[in-house]
Amino acid sequence: MKRLAAAARLFWWFSIRNLRRHQRRTLAVVLGIALGAAVFTSVRLSINASVDAFGQSMDRIAGKADWTVVQPGGRVPEAWVARLLRHPAVESASPLMKTYVRPVSGPDAPFLLIGLDPLLDRPVREWSTGGAADASSQGAPDRAENPESGDALDLMTTPFTLIMGRRLSNTLDAGAGDSVVLFGPRGKVSFTVINVLEDAGLSRADGGRIAVTDIATLQEFTGGYGAVDQIDIRLRPGAPSDAVASLRALLPDGIQLARPNQAKETGLTMIRAYQLNLSVLSFVSLFVGMFLVYSLVALNAASRRGETAILRAVGASRRMVFALFLLEGAFFGIVGWVLAFPVSSAMVGLLVEGIGRTISTLFVRVSVDRLALDAWEVFLSFGVTLAVSVLAALEPAYEAMQVSPREAMASARSRHSVQRIARRLFAAGGLFVAAVWPLSRMPAVSGIPLPGYVATFTLFAGFSLMSPLFLGIISARLSPLLRRLAGEPAYLAGRYLRDSGVRVAVSVGSLITAVALFTALVIMIHSFRGTVDLWVHQTVSGDLFVTPRLGEINQHRSPFAPEIARALNGIDVPADRVPFRRFYLTYGGVPYQFEAIDFETFFRHGAYIWIDGDPVAARRKLAAGRGVIVSEVFANHTGLALGDTFRDLIDGHLVTVPIVGVIRDYRSQGGVAFFSLERYEAIRIEGGGSPDAPGWSGIRFFFREDETPDARAARVDRLKAAIVAQCGDRVDMIAGADLRQSILRVFDETFSITTVLLLIALAVAALGIATTLTVLVLERSRQLNTIYAVGGSRSQIRRMIIWEASLMVAAGELGGLLCGGILSLLLVFVVNRQSFGWTFIYQVDWGALVLSLPLIYITAMLAALPAVRRVFREPPAMILREG
Amino acid sequence: MEKPAPAAMITAKGLTRYYQLGENRITGIDAVDLEIAAGELVLLKGVSGSGKSTLLSLLAGLDRPSGGELKVGGRNLAHASGASLDDYRRHVVGMIFQAFNLMPTLTVLENVCLPGLLAGRSDAPVRSRAAELLAWLNLAHRLSHIPAQLSGGEMQRTAIARALINDPAVILADEPTGNLDSRNGAIVIDLLAELNRSSGKTIVIATHGSQADGAATRHIRLKDGKIQ
Repeated sequence: MKRLAAAARLFWWFSIRNLRRHQRRTLAVVLGIALGAAVFTSVRLSINASVDAFGQSMDRIAGKADWTVVQPGGRVPEAWVARLLRHPAVESASPLMKTYVRPVSGPDAPFLLIGLDPLLDRPVREWSTGGAADASSQGAPDRAENPESGDALDLMTTPFTLIMGRRLSNTLDAGAGDSVVLFGPRGKVSFTVINVLEDAGLSRADGGRIAVTDIATLQEFTGGYGAVDQIDIRLRPGAPSDAVASLRALLPDGIQLARPNQAKETGLTMIRAYQLNLSVLSFVSLFVGMFLVYSLVALNAASRRGETAILRAVGASRRMVFALFLLEGAFFGIVGWVLAFPVSSAMVGLLVEGIGRTISTLFVRVSVDRLALDAWEVFLSFGVTLAVSVLAALEPAYEAMQVSPREAMASARSRHSVQRIARRLFAAGGLFVAAVWPLSRMPAVSGIPLPGYVATFTLFAGFSLMSPLFLGIISARLSPLLRRLAGEPAYLAGRYLRDSGVRVAVSVGSLITAVALFTALVIMIHSFRGTVDLWVHQTVSGDLFVTPRLGEINQHRSPFAPEIARALNGIDVPADRVPFRRFYLTYGGVPYQFEAIDFETFFRHGAYIWIDGDPVAARRKLAAGRGVIVSEVFANHTGLALGDTFRDLIDGHLVTVPIVGVIRDYRSQGGVAFFSLERYEAIRIEGGGSPDAPGWSGIRFFFREDETPDARAARVDRLKAAIVAQCGDRVDMIAGADLRQSILRVFDETFSITTVLLLIALAVAALGIATTLTVLVLERSRQLNTIYAVGGSRSQIRRMIIWEASLMVAAGELGGLLCGGILSLLLVFVVNRQSFGWTFIYQVDWGALVLSLPLIYITAMLAALPAVRRVFREPPAMILREG
Repeated sequence: MEKPAPAAMITAKGLTRYYQLGENRITGIDAVDLEIAAGELVLLKGVSGSGKSTLLSLLAGLDRPSGGELKVGGRNLAHASGASLDDYRRHVVGMIFQAFNLMPTLTVLENVCLPGLLAGRSDAPVRSRAAELLAWLNLAHRLSHIPAQLSGGEMQRTAIARALINDPAVILADEPTGNLDSRNGAIVIDLLAELNRSSGKTIVIATHGSQADGAATRHIRLKDGKIQ
């Protein structure tokens, strides 16, 4: 205890007092760390809130079910409810259907309408009205005695009634007895609200935006007669161990017994890569902040060599000195983390909605209703911030512990050793950079692009380690040229930087990191957008896309009703039609979409972007239904490649064909496999499907391509009017141009978060430049004033500082460009492939780089201004007199 | 009856220290034999570069010899580990520097307490002893000042108090009057002489001046790293 108190006092005396003496630079570092920690924490909290909301919503819908009977890509015949209930191991079986609906009036956002059997569902899910409604007004004589049963009976006996979740009821301002008109897959239907659910259990699924109706009503509403989405079963307590096997044996091909959390796991699989990549990106600001800590602790260690030597001379051990400087790093981490708290809370407010919206748009619907401060996240945020800061202080602390007590009587180390250190670091940095190639060739670990991330950080570390010698070489080479171009101040600046060694290079290293990240992300986003642009114009081609009402959000579970399909096919317009059927499935646990499409017509107007395979040969095979093409995402995640066999049960029908091509596709909900619609229909009918119900998930219309955009737009408007006349409000329509524009808008919105995080990293790097230059000026005030005393003008000295900053920034940008170029290849071809399964056509955005690099230069130079202003703050005579 | 010879406090045999700078070997001291008895006040004299500071660094445990033997207060410094040298500097010697070498962020009292703190002693007795020493050195009114607020003489007296806080047997001073005017220089030499007389501390002063000549019990002259 005594030793601890003594250590604390020593830390206070030696370190904290020194930091207090240099408040501005301390504040800059603490702010840098605080900003980094705040970004890291708030991004993680926000994304976790979305993931948790999704998970809890799925859990509430799954209820207490032990198993779920499903038919991937289709629906389960309702008759299986009775058959399952007869099985001796089954205690309860509850059929369930779900569909998103949209109220005709009021808020535009859709909500989840759940269809269930109110009686069979009791043992499975928690939902209750608590008798809250005015029971006597609802008609049934036994309601007053048991309002819960009354509600259940009303749902079953009165068609088109529903019980609304409390939060939804509040949002729509609708209660018991009110009517709500809903858009569903079959158009508008009016429902009567018979009660409101208590705010617990199922009522809180999907952020509370849910309503419950009788399953028969939902079947009628969606047209899914005689079938349900799933049957949730509970086994009897003490059911024999072979009960599950016997249940599986009972089910026919295509119908599966799955764990209730399978849908949740599939959803989480889709979000995981986004979650991980955003977390890693949010760490970048903290990583850049690490340079700030390193910079100041290293500067302190170097500028306080004398004091360190005295400390050693009066009895401090090497370990004690090491601990003091390490604690200094820890101090920055702890104070920065504490300051990050209020910043995080402000950021979370902004981020949570944006991230939730992005996840809903790209992957699965989430509705965040609360933001929990998870103890683990708090611990992780603290731990990472502290670890980063301590790690940053490790090398300077090690350098400080090497200070000999003899230095209390002698001069500091020679330039020779500074140069030697720079060369040693360069060699180590070279090894790090060389390690990037083998790391980038390694496969992902359990779906996590760990080698890709390690390669990224190895690259940063390598370039940072190489920066001292890099800066030295640039300065040495440029010094003579600068003398001729800009006179003595520029020459002196170059000479100073050449000999400055590691300390100045640390700031250059941080700038290299920030510029590299900027360059890499600019290239990656440009490549990504360019490829997506090409994709939407070739593959997502078409003048009008027509789908069943709310078909997309309901994952096309309900295809067009036969009469609608016939009507759409019969509309008399001079346009080609490309119908398609889409199923949302998993292949070996990998989520993907199986899309059967009329290839022959499609290829007249659109195309795929081929990665592997012979397009001409493949097109023939595709049209004949003798092959399937899969997206790069599907191929990378399933491990299947060109020539392999694709084999899956589609709505109960087995499709076994070779993969004849791998194409680019950028839908975010997993991979995709395209197959001939004609062939799929044949397989379906062979398997007992009705020839009268083609079951299209949508249809694209293509007009002649030689028309002007205006003429095509006019044609689209006329076609829309014709469809409304034939189909009423039972379909959703979007013009191809609008759809493509909306895809690109979602893309841009998704990357807006990335851009903000990037700007913060650049700001932290600018803080580093400002801190380093200020400290360098302060340290050299005697030297600078001597130059003044021997005839240098104030303007010359200020120019010298500006040239120093200029050279540092130039070295940072040059190194950053080089590092960023390599990093962009890593991001496009390694991290993206391992995270999301896709790559892009690599293209450098020269325009943005040419425009941005001077802007970064100006920003960094502005950060240097405080240092320039400090040079002559004290009278030169005073400084030269002091020793 | 003959008075017994006082025990040797410092013994050096063939003590050598050289520095390797690139391909050049620079000799600090070369095969020095030396014996200083407890209670002596010895002046190490010689011109700049003669090896005074090198010898003092070795005696202070700030540096290690390249060869030879060195014993101070019964401790063998030639083969001591880093930890033993730390302990040696805390308990056996007190060091006074030409440039005072006070910690700029610490007050006068804290500067004096620092070695006590590093030696793991309790706070209260260390503070009390530091206050006593500072009062004896006429610095009682300067306890809460930082070094930048002191005169050169005051800074050196603070350094003397710091050297004495752990009550070491040996005081080593490297040009203690080098940065002081003659009046303050004389005060410092008087204080060291008084310490030697009153408490019998062994004191070794490296100096090239003559200000301390009268106070010394012995002079050792160094030239080119050797005792003349």
